[in-house]
Formats: sequence, C-alpha cells, structure tokens
Amino acid sequence: MKNAKAAQKELPRQTRAPLITKLALALVFALGAVIIALGVSGQRAYDTSGFSAESAYGAIYALSKDVNAAWEKQLQPQLAALPAEQRAQVDEAVRALLDAAWEGANPGSAAEVESILSPVPEGERTALSYKLLYSAYLVNGPKVSTAQKKEIAALSAADLAAFRTAMLNGVTDESAALPAAAEKAADLKGQERQAALMQLLFTSDGAAASTESVNTLKKGVRDKVKQLDAFRMIARGEVGWLWQLIVSNSRTAVLVGIIIALDALLLTLLMMWDKSWIIDVKWIIILLIVDFLLLFQLMPLVYMVIKAFFPEGSFSLETFERLYTYSLNLDALTNTLIAAFATMILGTLLAFPLAWLVGRTNLYGKKFFRALFVLTYMVPPYVGAMAWLRLLNPNVGTINQWLRVLFRLSDAPGPLNVYTLPGMIWVLTSFYYPYAFITISRAMEKMDPSLEEASRISGGSPLKTLFTITLPMMMPSLIAGALLVFVSAASCYGIPSIIGSPGRVHTVTTRIVEYVSLGQQALNDATGMAVFLMVMALIILFISDVVLAKKQYITVSGKSVRPAIVDLRKWRVPLTVIVSVFAVIMIFIPFATIFTTSFKIDVGKSMFQAENFTWTNWQTVFGRTETMNCLKNSLIFASVTATVGIAIACTMSYLLQRTRVKGRKIPDFLITLGSGTPSVVIALGLIMTMKGNFGINIYNTAYIMIIAYLIKYLMMGMRTVVSAMSQIHVSLEECSQIAGASWLRTMFRITGPLIFPSIAAGWFLIFIPSFYELSMTTLLYSSTTKTIGFQLYEYWTFTSQPMSCAMAFGILLFVVALNFLLNRLTKGEFSI
Amino acid sequence: MATVTIKNVSKAFGDNVVLKEFNETFQEGEFVTLLGPSGCGKTTMLRMIAGFEKPTSGEVYIDDQLVSGGKTFVPPEKRSIGMVFQSYAVWPHMNVFDNVAYPLTIQRVPKAEIREQVEKVLEIVHLSQYAKRLPNQLSGGQQQRVALARALVAAPKLLLLDEPLSNLDAKLRESMRFEIKEIQKKLGITVVYVTHDQTEAMAMSDRIFLINRGVVQQSGTPEQIYNEPINQFVADFLGKVDFFKGEAANGRIAFPAMGGQSIAYDGPRTGKVEVAIRPESIYFAPDGVLEGTLEAQYYLGDVDDCRVRVGDTLMRVIANGYEYKALREGQKVRMNVRSFMVFEDNGLLEQMLKIQT
Ligand SMILES: Nc1ncnc2c1ncn2[C@@H]1O[C@H](COP(=O)(O)OP(=O)(O)OP(=O)(O)O)[C@@H](O)[C@H]1O
Ligand SMILES: [Mg+2]
Repeated sequence: MKNAKAAQKELPRQTRAPLITKLALALVFALGAVIIALGVSGQRAYDTSGFSAESAYGAIYALSKDVNAAWEKQLQPQLAALPAEQRAQVDEAVRALLDAAWEGANPGSAAEVESILSPVPEGERTALSYKLLYSAYLVNGPKVSTAQKKEIAALSAADLAAFRTAMLNGVTDESAALPAAAEKAADLKGQERQAALMQLLFTSDGAAASTESVNTLKKGVRDKVKQLDAFRMIARGEVGWLWQLIVSNSRTAVLVGIIIALDALLLTLLMMWDKSWIIDVKWIIILLIVDFLLLFQLMPLVYMVIKAFFPEGSFSLETFERLYTYSLNLDALTNTLIAAFATMILGTLLAFPLAWLVGRTNLYGKKFFRALFVLTYMVPPYVGAMAWLRLLNPNVGTINQWLRVLFRLSDAPGPLNVYTLPGMIWVLTSFYYPYAFITISRAMEKMDPSLEEASRISGGSPLKTLFTITLPMMMPSLIAGALLVFVSAASCYGIPSIIGSPGRVHTVTTRIVEYVSLGQQALNDATGMAVFLMVMALIILFISDVVLAKKQYITVSGKSVRPAIVDLRKWRVPLTVIVSVFAVIMIFIPFATIFTTSFKIDVGKSMFQAENFTWTNWQTVFGRTETMNCLKNSLIFASVTATVGIAIACTMSYLLQRTRVKGRKIPDFLITLGSGTPSVVIALGLIMTMKGNFGINIYNTAYIMIIAYLIKYLMMGMRTVVSAMSQIHVSLEECSQIAGASWLRTMFRITGPLIFPSIAAGWFLIFIPSFYELSMTTLLYSSTTKTIGFQLYEYWTFTSQPMSCAMAFGILLFVVALNFLLNRLTKGEFSI
Repeated sequence: MATVTIKNVSKAFGDNVVLKEFNETFQEGEFVTLLGPSGCGKTTMLRMIAGFEKPTSGEVYIDDQLVSGGKTFVPPEKRSIGMVFQSYAVWPHMNVFDNVAYPLTIQRVPKAEIREQVEKVLEIVHLSQYAKRLPNQLSGGQQQRVALARALVAAPKLLLLDEPLSNLDAKLRESMRFEIKEIQKKLGITVVYVTHDQTEAMAMSDRIFLINRGVVQQSGTPEQIYNEPINQFVADFLGKVDFFKGEAANGRIAFPAMGGQSIAYDGPRTGKVEVAIRPESIYFAPDGVLEGTLEAQYYLGDVDDCRVRVGDTLMRVIANGYEYKALREGQKVRMNVRSFMVFEDNGLLEQMLKIQT
C-alpha cells in the first residue's frame, strides 16, 4: 500500500525529471566549455604578451589599482594646486622623462610612448603620462634608499605636503632648495635630477604600491621591451579583475573546464546506460573519485607516454632508441629483466615448498614459521638490502669473514660479493619470496581437501594426486604469485639503489632516478625507461587480474574447509630443521646484523670486541632534530594518506558491494591500475605534470607525496574492506532496516562494527608502506618534506652505516609494534 | 562383494570423542545406512573405512584383510573403494568426462574402453549431454551426479556414499535412489550410505544404523527400527511421534494429563511409563477409548492433520483425507490407538531429544 502511494507521488516527478536533468547536464557541459574557452583565450593573450609568467597579470591588475589611487588621491590634487605655468613645466618634464625612460634598452621607445599617448583624448593624456611614469618608476626608476624611505615615512602630514611641493618645485627650478630627505638629489643635474625628484614624489605617496606586486611584475615581465606593454596596461587599467584571474590561472582554468565538461559527459553516458534520468548522489561521489584519479594518476601517465613518443613535440622513436643504443641504458634494461626473472624463479621455488610445508603438513612450529615468513613482507626492502650488504660485503661482510676463517682462505676480498648482479638477485629474492609465499599458501589453504581425497580414493597415489590434481589447480595462483614477484622485483628501487649503485649494477629504476636528478634534458630518457617499465607492469597486471582470475577455480565450498594434513613421518624432524635453518639465514641473521651493527664503532669488527660497543649511534641518530623532523613528516604523511585512503576505500567498498550503480567499476579500475604502476613511474609522472605546467603546482610540497602514496597504496586498503564487506551478507543489513533503523543507523550500528577490524587493517595497510616509502620519496622530496625512509637512505649513503642501522632497527621496531597493535585491535583477525 | 568389519573402533579428535567402540560387520552385497543427526560422526566413520582417518583404537577389515589398526595402514588408493564426498569434490579443472574417467585412467584401462564405460555411467546419472562441460557450468545437483558417476565407474566392490543425493530435487532424488539400488543389486556391491533423510534410509537400506553422540543407538532393518525402537531417541528420530506420560497398572495405561483416561496395555511394564504414539496410528472411531475436542484441522490433500484436546494435552492425529468433510472444529470426537510404544519413564526424555541438534 505504502509503496503504491509512494510510486504515485513519484510519477509526475519522474516524467518531468529527464528534461530538467538533460538541461542541467547541458548547462554544466556548457559551463565547462566556457571555462575552457576563457582559459584558452587567457593563455593566448599571455602567449602573445611575451611575458614570462602568467602571474604578471595579477600584478598588473593590483598595481594599476594602486597607481590609479595614487593619481586620484595624491598626485592630481597636488598638481591642481600648482600655478598653471609651473604645471605646464612639470607636465613637459614628465613627458621628457617618459621618452627617456626606455632609451637605453629600447631605442624606439619614444615613438612607442607617443603611440600610447596620442590616441587618448587631450584631457586624459597628462593623467596617463603621470601614471605611466609612476608605473615605470615602480619597477626601474631611480633608487631610493631604505633610509630615505624611512625618513619620508616619518614626516607628518603637513611636512609631507611641504615635501611634495618642494619636489615639484625642484623639478621646475633647479636652484630650489631641497628638504633633508631629498638631499641626495641635490647633487644631480638636469633630467637625472628631475627623475630622482619625481621618484621621491611617487615614493612619498602614502598608498605606496605593494612591493610584493612589484616583485611579481619584475619576475613576470623579464623582457625590458615588454615592460612598456605592462606599464601601459597598468596606467590605462587595461586588465580587469576577471581577466587577470583568467589569465593568471589560465592553465588551471583549462584543466578545470576539461574536468567539468568531462564529468558532464561521463554523467550523461552513465545515465544513458542506466536509462534513468534522475541524478544519483552516488554518481557524484564516483565522479569525484574519478576526477581525482584522472588528474593525478591518469594524466601524468598519459603525458609521460606522449612525451616519450613526442619528445620535442613531433613524433619520434628516438627516446626508445636511446634505450638500447646507449650502453648504460641497455645494461640497466637487461639487468632489470635478468634480475626480475631470476628472482621470480628463485622466489617461487622457495615459496611453493614452504607454503606446502607450512600449510599442508605436520611440520613442527608451522604457525610460527608462517608468521615469520609473512613478517618479511612488511620490512622495508632497503633495510633488507642494508643487512645483506653488511653480511656479504666482499671485504668486511660478516659471512665472508666467517667463510674465510672456515675454509682458510687468504685475506683477499670475497669469496662472496654482494655488489654484483647475482648478489642483487639474492637480496631481491630474500625480500620478495614472501609475496609468492602468501599468494600460494592462501590458495593452498583454501583448496577443498576432498578434491585430493577423491583422487586418492580413485586409486591415485599421493604423487599422482600432486601432479594431476593439486598442481593444476594451484597453477593460476602459482603463476599469479610468480608474476607478482617478477613485477615487484623489476620495479624495486630500494634494493638496487643500495646494492646496485656502488657495484655499478644499474637497473631501470636507478637509471630513472639518476636521469631525474640530472634535470630537464634527461627527463626524455627517463620517460623512455618509465614507459618500458609501466607497460611491462601493466601487461602483467592484466594477465594476473583478468586472465588468471578467471581461471582461479572457486574451490571454497560453503562448508568450512579443514585442509588435509600430510603426515611427514620420518621426514618431519629433518624438514623442520631445514626450514629452521632457512629462517635463521633469511630472517634472523639479517635482522641481527642490523641490530648489532647499530652498536658498532668499526663495522669491520665484532660488536663484542674491545672498545667496539657504543650507544652513541642511537643517541646521535635519534637526538638530531632533523631525524625528528623527518619522522614527524613520515608520520603525518602516512596518517593523512591512510585516513584519506581508507575513506575512499570505504566509499568504494560500499559502492562495489552494496549498490548496483552504473560506473562503480570505473574508479575501481583506475585504483587497480594505480597500484599496479611501478612507484618510480608514478613519481616521475607527477614530477612532469605537477609543476604548474598544467595548472596545478604542488611540486616540492607534501601534497605531491601524499598523492603519490595514495595512488600506490589505496588498493591495499580497498581490497581489505571490500572483502570484509562481501562476507557480511546483505540480509544482516536488511534485517536491521526492517527492524526500522535508518540507513545511516544501520551503517553505524551493524555494518560499521562488523567491518571495523578490516577498516583498521586497511588503514594500517596503507599507513605502513607509506611510512617507510623510499622510491617515490626519492623523486618527490624537498628540503622540508624529507621522510624517515629517505633520511635513512641518506645516512646510509653519506653518513655512517652504524647510525643508519640504528635508524633502520628503530623503523623495524615501530613497524612490528604497529603490526602487533593491529593484531590486538582486530582480535587477531588481521596482521600483515 | 566385500565385507567390512569394524572392530572396537573409537575415534577422537583431540579430546573430542566422536565415535565410541563401534563394532559391526557389513555383509557382502548389503546396503547399510548410517543415519543420525548432524555431527554425530557419520562422515568420520566413512572416512575411516576409506582410509582418510585412522581410528584412535580398534581395527578395520575389508574382506578379512586388515586395512587400519595397529601398525597396519593401507592407503586409500589401495583399498579399491568408490566414494562420493559430501562436498562433491568434482575437480574444477577437468570436464565431466575427464572427471568420471579418472579412476579408469589411473588403472590404465584402454582408451576405447574408458569411453564406453564412462558413457554408460553418464547415461545412468542422466548426464550424457554434459560430458564436455566444466564443473563450474553445472548445478549443484549435476555436480553431485558427476561425483556419483566417478565413484561407480570403476565398479568398486565397496561404495561409500556421503549424502550423495542431498542436493537433488524430489523427483530426481527418487529416480537416483532407484538407480543406485539397481546398480547395487546388479553388481552386488556393498554400500555404506550416509544420509539425514529418513525416508531415503527406509526406502533403500537393508540395515540402518542409527547413531547419536558417537554411539550406535540401534541397528536393524528399517521395519525393526521404525516399529520397535529401543528407546525414545530412536522412536523420535524416525517418523513423527508424540510422547505422553502415563501410569501402567492392571492391563491399562492411564494418562493423568488426559483427565485419567486410559488405554488397554498388555505389555510387561508397570508404574511410571512414557508412551510414544505416532499420529498416524490414531484413528477416529465412534466407540473410541479416548475422548476429546477437535481444536483444529489442516487439510493436506492426502491426509487430514488434526489437533485434538484431550484433558490438558493436545494430541496430534493424522486422519484419512476423506474425514475432513465429516469433522467440524469444536466438535467432540472419540479415538482409538492402533499401536504405540511404551518406554520406562527414566526422566531422560528431554535430555535425549535435546541432543538431536
Ligand atoms: N578433522 C577433525 N578435527 C576435529 N574435529 C573433527 C574433525 N572431523 C570431524 N570432527 C568433529 O567430529 C564430529 C563428527 O563429524 P562428522 O563430519 O563425522 O559428522 P557427520 O555426522 O558427518 O555430520 P553431518 O551430517 O553434518 O555431515 C563433529 O563434531 C566434528 O566437529
Ligand atoms: Mg557428514
């Protein structure tokens, strides 16, 4: 009954709605177009003006107001009070001064001045000439010292009037006495004297133009010839408020216009697709998220690709040619591919048996091992690299020292050397095998054991079952895990930068960072590398997200699955020993090394050796304000990223899981794309587009870093919340709504509490990697936005290894503590 | 064509004892059903026979050969058993044909023969036209039939079925029941069948084992179990039954709650008793021994489901469908009881019935 009534009420609105909506959409689109047009015309005007910055227009507007006020309030009354004859003399002097003002820089200027003044009606010509002179003197008139300015400013109102009169008298009569503040001009003769006096007259103007605007104008109009145009604009008040706004923000206007028009277009498409012409608030939310991603994610990437193919504005493959014709680049390319491939193979070979042993057998201490292997996942890669460097350094590496003693080798460096490609592969593997481990063991534990049992009862031996049932079913996850390792290793910067650079083992990422530090010209080369890396990553993303995901058999049965545990029997102890040794080598020794090194004075000696133990590393590192500033930056950036990120993640989860609104997959797609893009590439794209050249200038600010982190890590949070929400059946919510609770109340009372653990988990999953991020930070930091990760890197490369180890261990402790907190907060349901 | 002997088998998961002292022999060609409430240990029993679980104590023999017990353990693949899993366990990466052919492939049966046999068995489970489909393109019931076909294809001597028909609709279920029974008779296979569904158990089994809390409550033919339950739990689990407390004395049982009305009884019990009456064994008769008021009736087509107030209690009577027209709610009726079961009133009834879930 109630519904029927509601429907009746709705009816007339529905029939009217399409027209109104369409009109509104058209209006918004038109608005976008108008803003674009304004932006473009502003840009045109600016282009033809020959000025060197759009901000000149703002200054011109501000100054023209000041100049006008000065003329009307001060100069004009002052001049009007002069006797007619003297007035004419002053006018003449001003005119002469004007003609002389640009003589040096621009010989034809007198004619130009004439052409500015002559079209103006007689009555206004004098006023214009004064204003013009005033404007010109603001920027490059005779110098007035600060002391003089102070003196003038100190004069009382009556004295000031007298001062001005004296100036004017001085212009017309060279012998007239000058007040104290104008003493310096007394020595000058002729036009010079006149100029100085006029300048003093202008300076005495109480409503003096703001120095800020003057400075902006100086920077905005570098060309002396063009200055005349600027002064004309000031004097004649040619630039209105709106126009200066448009011109000085013309790039932003074009961008905003495009976004508005695009939104209107997108909304129209969505509505046509939905066949409904009622605007849904959800669409607005979707569009806002999409806008953000379009601006900060897609535009930089697209621009980078365009730049790579059109390096100098016209199509050329030169950028890519340089990838392989320049041997350093070719080395980087092959190194990257070899390292990533080898890491993938090694990592998967390690991960698969480990996942099986930990997940499906009665190995001793499975849970502990599992937690341990997963722990590596949240350690910053560069910390691992530092540890392995300490261990495998050819000269002082601990393992090398042991090996030399053990095998009685000579004291020559070696036998192992981490500063090589194999060394780098080893470190990459030790860091990235957990990625495969997590993917594989998740699939392995989700697999319904009766699938294997069915094979056994059909007569298949355990081995046969492994090869015909288990492996084929695991294959998609196995490949997905392997690809994840490949792409992570290929886009890793932390490890190659610490291990590769000293050993001259270049990779694509280190080359990109180097190129960026070389400046504008080298950016072209960087884009070539970045596009290569990005395309590779995106292909892999496509394979694992689209091709493999379809093949990922839904093996989770409704009934809870209890994995069949294989009895290792006589192998139980030996295998446990092997896994323990592995854990000691891969995890314990590296972390212990970091820990002990942080107390050493001489890194080559043992911590326990006499006089080699010190607390000062810790004290120095954590006592410095710089460290504390970096730590503060990291905490702030990571918190902001995580909070904004989790808000978007919750919104997206709701849209994806609880609504069928059209277009909800668009932001989802963009977010996935962002997280699949290598960090270095994201950062490079942002550098190239966020310097103001597209109307947004956040270069060297905290924003650019937060945005970069968001693009990279947003998905971590989103996935967590989405999967939690998918597990809460809608009926729980409906139940509450039937019970009479409003939607908001339901969200807060039912859904909220149920998914709170995963929201918290999502927050930390964004926070932790943002906290210790290095690759993007290296490209985006400025002196005020250094983070702890970057600080650590600097310490390692430029200051002292023990100190950086202290810092690394501090970071490690913090991250582990966070994980522990997360575990507590979510009652053990989540930890990384 | 196999016997299964289970000697003193107990099974515990940690402290949780799931099966206690199971002792039984399943004869050659026998169709045995394990029946019982959820979680009572049916699947566990099957898995021990199959070799997926080892008994905590006791021995399992198949055809007089010790397969589990002591130090001996024959792995599942060596036991020549066919099994349908409760979760179907159809391999998602193989199509229907390959799934079903798997046991034969392992036995290295020639290709042509495999084809022939698989087609035959697919015919039986009505899946011939789905041979090339992947499991994720099948419904739950179809997958269940694939699992059944896979279990049957190698003509095992022992077939273990864990709720193989639970996901089929009523009609298909009936036809599959018939097929399974036919195959079993034709091949003389021993079948151990697990189900929740008592009708299914009654219809197919030679012998039913009713299990509760890991203990066999009663075993016997369907008829024995239905008509001669040894305790209230068994009576209650099979069919519909209502319990009434009464006093047995002088060849009658009087029910205090029915205002002292009584029925004739010539059994051995005296004193406090619990009488279990199935609603369908009560019938209306003008000269009935019990008198009451018809409170409500629900016409269900074939039967007329009535509630009659007798004294302070409500009795359920399932009457013949034709009676519906003759009866009026509120009218006085008289009833006779065709048969009933009498148990000692040990005060455990409530407790026993509670365990069911
Ligand atoms: N591997 C195991 N570890 C621990 N407990 C188990 C295990 N397998 C079964 N159980 C427990 O043993 C009991 C019997 O389980 P079983 O699967 O045999 O029940 P069931 O009779 O088949 O029930 P259903 O009819 O619901 O399938 C249950 O309480 C179950 O929780
Ligand atoms: Mg079961």
